[in-house]
Amino acid sequence: MIQEALFFSAVLFIIGVIGVLTRRNAIIIFMCVELMLNAVNLSFVALSRLYGIAGQVFVIFVMTVAAAEAAVGLAIIISIFRHHENVDLRNINLMRG
Amino acid sequence: MGLFYTFHFYLFGVIAIISAVAFVTRRSPVAAALWLVNTMFCLAALYVMMDAQFIGAIQVLVYAGAIMVVFLFVVMLLNLGHASDVTDIVGGKTKLAAGLVGLLLLAEVFVLWKDDGAPAPVPAQQELEPGVIDQVAAPLFREYLLAFEITSVLLLAAIVGAVVLAKRRVT
Amino acid sequence: MSRTYLPVLLLMGFVVFNAILMIGLSHLTMRSRPTPVKQSAYESGIPALGEARERFSVKFYMVAMLFIIFDIETVFLIPWGAYFRNLSCAVPLTNGLCPSGQVSMFGLVEMLVFMAILIVGLVYVWKKGALQWD
Repeated sequence: MIQEALFFSAVLFIIGVIGVLTRRNAIIIFMCVELMLNAVNLSFVALSRLYGIAGQVFVIFVMTVAAAEAAVGLAIIISIFRHHENVDLRNINLMRG
Repeated sequence: MGLFYTFHFYLFGVIAIISAVAFVTRRSPVAAALWLVNTMFCLAALYVMMDAQFIGAIQVLVYAGAIMVVFLFVVMLLNLGHASDVTDIVGGKTKLAAGLVGLLLLAEVFVLWKDDGAPAPVPAQQELEPGVIDQVAAPLFREYLLAFEITSVLLLAAIVGAVVLAKRRVT
Repeated sequence: MSRTYLPVLLLMGFVVFNAILMIGLSHLTMRSRPTPVKQSAYESGIPALGEARERFSVKFYMVAMLFIIFDIETVFLIPWGAYFRNLSCAVPLTNGLCPSGQVSMFGLVEMLVFMAILIVGLVYVWKKGALQWD
């Protein structure tokens, strides 16, 4: 089952990457990043059957980081929205070189 | 592994992938978020099937139950629920580039799939604690003690950051 | 091991089947005769004012954000609580009990440090007035 799980994980990760590259709505891009984190969690759990339980402990930490990231990232999106009245990424180019 | 197990493993994996594709292609953020919740439920089922029951439970509680709810919340907070945002998906050139990146990654997966290579070294199974949660808790609170404590600092930073960024200015 | 979760799978299958059956049957058997009154959001109630998709206040976001942070704290508390008996004993348990004289404060102290740091955050939010509704 480990091989299949790794395959599913890779496909989900690819879908996440394509989502990040093709969408412009900041919230959807954010959700694509969450999908990529989930895909990595799946391979952690799959490999934890092979290499011991530490992979599952890591998944808990990844979830913690995802929650912290969601809290701060959504706050950033809210403050961007206050500025531009939308969350289109084309408007967020203040620091472009 | 029995046929019943294998069938359901593939079933949940395929549902997860189909939901993920639906998630990326929806225009409305609300629909996209709900498809992503579906993907996360299927992943929780896969975790349970791979004997990671505690991880499956917190996947449902934290990811599907808390994080995605907050995402939906912000979509409604900012009133972005309409699908009218036609310019949401980027134009031809970037789309082509994204498709190429996707094909490249997919090709890599298939190459790795075909290539059996040397079998992975399987270390001797460690002495596992009895009970589903104890297995995870034992390394979490002993070996990874420092990481666990530092996690609280991360959460503190997240609280402070979110409050500073989102709070209305008192003028 | 995952065989013990078969009832959960059966329940999920039953729920999905039931939902599809109910929605499908009601679609097949319904006769559609809409009138403006039937189509209103609250039939026989007061007419709805404005849209349902109104933007709401950022105050709700503060509550939701604090909810996920402290939800994560709970995720750490559950395994800690389940494993606390082992953590508070300096030597491995014998028959699920700690030999006398071997009780240690290790488990309690590590969780108290964790919670103390998070309570700093709670106090900050409180003093900043983010929990204030008005």
